[in-house]
Amino acid sequence: MKDLVHIFELEDLLQEANNPLVRQGKADGNRALGYTCYFMPEVLLDLPGCFSVRLRAPRSGSPDMATYYMTNRTCMYGRCLLERALEGGFNFLDAEMATETCTVTCRFQEHLQLMDIIKNPDFFCEFTDVPFKKNENSIDHYVGQLQAHVLDKLKEHFDIDTSDEALLKAIEQHNEVCRLIQEIGSYRKLDEPTITGWEFSIIQLATLVCPKYLIIDKLKDIAEQLKTRKPDAKKNYRVKVVLTGSEEDDPDFIKLIEECGALVVADRYCYGSLPGREEIVVKEGETPLRAIARHYLETSECPRFMDQHIMRARKQYLADIAKEYKADGIIISQMKFCEYWSYERTIDTLVIPRDFGYPVCSIEKEYVNNAVGQLRTRFQAFVESIELKKIQKEG
Amino acid sequence: MAIGLKDIKAKYRELFVVEKSPEEKNKPKDVKKMAKDFWYGKPHEERRLGDLYVGNTGLYKHREWRGVKDTMYYFNMIWLYNYAHMVTDIMKYGGGPKGVVTFAKGTMRYRWMGQTYLTVMHWFDRGLEGARGEAMKASAWHYRGMVSETIRQFMRMFEADKKLNGGEENETWKKTIAHNETLSGNIFYGWRGELDDVALEMIPYFVSVHVNNHTVLNYIDAAQSIGLPADPCPMCQAEYGLFVHDDYPDYSPVMLTTNEACDGSVATSVLQDWFLNRPLYAMPQPMRYDDPLVQKNCQKEIEGAWKFVEENFGIKMDWDQYVKHAQSFNKLTEFEWEKWDVAANTPYYPITGVAQALYRIYYSQDGDRPIWHEMDAHVKRIMDKCVKNKIETFPKTRHRAIAWSCAPLYYSHWCTWAYNCWGINTIINMDSLMFDQYLRTDTYEHALEDLAWFNEKAPMRAMAVGGHEHILSLFDYMERFNCDMVIMYDQLQCKGMQGIHGVFEDEFRKRNIHAIWVPHALPDKRTVSRAEIRDIINDYMTTVMREEPLDPSLLDFDDGGSW
Repeated sequence: MKDLVHIFELEDLLQEANNPLVRQGKADGNRALGYTCYFMPEVLLDLPGCFSVRLRAPRSGSPDMATYYMTNRTCMYGRCLLERALEGGFNFLDAEMATETCTVTCRFQEHLQLMDIIKNPDFFCEFTDVPFKKNENSIDHYVGQLQAHVLDKLKEHFDIDTSDEALLKAIEQHNEVCRLIQEIGSYRKLDEPTITGWEFSIIQLATLVCPKYLIIDKLKDIAEQLKTRKPDAKKNYRVKVVLTGSEEDDPDFIKLIEECGALVVADRYCYGSLPGREEIVVKEGETPLRAIARHYLETSECPRFMDQHIMRARKQYLADIAKEYKADGIIISQMKFCEYWSYERTIDTLVIPRDFGYPVCSIEKEYVNNAVGQLRTRFQAFVESIELKKIQKEG
Repeated sequence: MAIGLKDIKAKYRELFVVEKSPEEKNKPKDVKKMAKDFWYGKPHEERRLGDLYVGNTGLYKHREWRGVKDTMYYFNMIWLYNYAHMVTDIMKYGGGPKGVVTFAKGTMRYRWMGQTYLTVMHWFDRGLEGARGEAMKASAWHYRGMVSETIRQFMRMFEADKKLNGGEENETWKKTIAHNETLSGNIFYGWRGELDDVALEMIPYFVSVHVNNHTVLNYIDAAQSIGLPADPCPMCQAEYGLFVHDDYPDYSPVMLTTNEACDGSVATSVLQDWFLNRPLYAMPQPMRYDDPLVQKNCQKEIEGAWKFVEENFGIKMDWDQYVKHAQSFNKLTEFEWEKWDVAANTPYYPITGVAQALYRIYYSQDGDRPIWHEMDAHVKRIMDKCVKNKIETFPKTRHRAIAWSCAPLYYSHWCTWAYNCWGINTIINMDSLMFDQYLRTDTYEHALEDLAWFNEKAPMRAMAVGGHEHILSLFDYMERFNCDMVIMYDQLQCKGMQGIHGVFEDEFRKRNIHAIWVPHALPDKRTVSRAEIRDIINDYMTTVMREEPLDPSLLDFDDGGSW
């Protein structure tokens, strides 16, 4: 296929947290607000006068200093973030809007509070409590938390306009990005997709780590080009897969899977778009903040939700995605030392093939992906096994 | 192969004879001293408790001689008394002699039961090794309380258990509430008149690993056998492994879970749900629990749990029952505070580190039960006597230690060893300090408010979540309990504690605190053995503290095969 417009530019933007668009956003007088988890609604951090940056630690090597603080028995994502912070890579941040939603990222953010790491006199780190359920009580709670620990703090520290009008404006901008990402992502549903998983992951990631207002035009260009983009004459993949699992912000990992013959057609993982890029709907009589709180709780598919029906619905959601995107199998990837996904991966590996009939490749990986050879073998074997099943079925 | 008299003699010596060192053999006999040692027991430095062990078993060649008075007390009031009660309690809680049949069925059906019941007294011996006088007596009462309550719980489970009753959903099954061991029993006080609540994993996993540390390994392996990686918290793995092996009693129509204490607990509840497949209520508590804004949410979740019980059992919550038990539990809390006060400010505290830790976590998790009051009355009498008569219960104390983070369950009695060997007296531990909350009952609102706080301060979560200031409160507690040393438990698979490791290192250096890191894997002895834990402490005491052991025979011995 012809190269996607802006794709290499966007790829370059992912090479460091303080990328050129972040610098431009700051130069425009906006505050850069870091966060790590979907439960910190990015739309609130994209209010006029500030912009959200979902933290990544691209091009990480061995996080030695962070390993001293957090040992080598914690998730490497959390450690790499701390290492990057210790190296000064996050000094551009004006605030970290934190959540205690998984242990290690929580500890990383606590280190930011405790150790005066971020060399920015304005910097502060504020935690929000996030509920474990999706009921009305949880939404009430979440609204109160977001008001007190996000909006009030932004107003107090940076005099950000947090009025309903400002929130509605932020929702509008957010929804525009979501619509564009959905449109771009929808080409993955085609029988012969006209966008690769690698390309899509770059675009999706760029929307998470750059000021939205600086990237929307690029998304529009991409969406426009995709309307007429033709698939390669000769199919260069053998099967289509859904990638699900824990934190994943490395497009090269997607590339690795695709090099093995499995086109990644759906991204149901932390930092992915499923869920994550659904439009926020403000219902009649609902405040914008409540709509945001409800939206993030209702759309999240995080394994920390404990309601029985939600736990079970997560499996159905995954199977539905696989069906909608015409996937042949599912790759479940878990960051080593991620407690939630250790368990979720185990149960998905058992339940998905049994109850929904999808073959599953279950892997454990590090944030800094050094085990390329082993993973390649696993993915190649998975692709072959799906093909064999297809042949057997046809026979 | 023929066995000769020589072999029998050698085996006899190996199993029953404590060999004397050449120096001791050559010592002239001092009859007066021998008589004194016989009557009062040997002085601490001459006991050589390590020589009592049969190699690689942890079993004793003969029982420890503690002097006439203490040995008689131990034999009659601890050993015989408890063995007798382990039979009578089965009948007491099992509805008479038929309880023996129920017990036998449970013992045959469940591995965790069959492998632990007869090793109970060895658990006493390990925890009370070297203890004398009032310390021995008070600590033994704590152990007695735990054994009795354990019997009550498993008898209730067995009586209700569908698996032991041919699949029948009997009346007891219909009147028993099952919940996670990390969800406190105090939530169910309102039904204690008509229903009973039993924590699902408390006996099968938590108690059993203390009594026989081999039992749990099977469950950990089972969890990993279906694909769970080895790195998540092994406690959660073991709890889950019970389900993989179908080794949990089916004694209730419902299940209530919680997010206490960590990500692993949440995830375990999710996995267990697939096996239990019955109505489930999750009662999570907020993570940032100091925030006044989170309290309402927590209170509503408790009310949600109450509604769930009401709907599933068709029985309304009885407010009077709640008040009765909450007020009764407050009495336990008051005595706990009294104990802390004595422990913090005097050398007269008569409870060993392991008895303090286990009893506290057990009764506060379990909630108000008559046995705890009975035991506290015994212990209070002893403690009052110690304070009044200024009895130094641990006279060889060189260091007053605070143990922080979660303990190695397979070696919770390490502190008994540490005192005997090095004079390290564990005054208090982190998990004893949880649930530090009085329960008001004057109004419904106050009751709910305090109950929410109580559960937010549950084990581990009280210190390990909600902000780094909680875990770093170690230094305040260290001061409060007048401690000069920290035993820093290093649970290798606890992400929350691993995630703040370096900050502690920095703080220890900055504050010039002697801290010994004790790595372990909670219930899994294979990761760091008991002997390795002892080696780490030995190394610190000799190389950093430059001290000589009180009892050198305890420096190195092999108890790898012990229960």
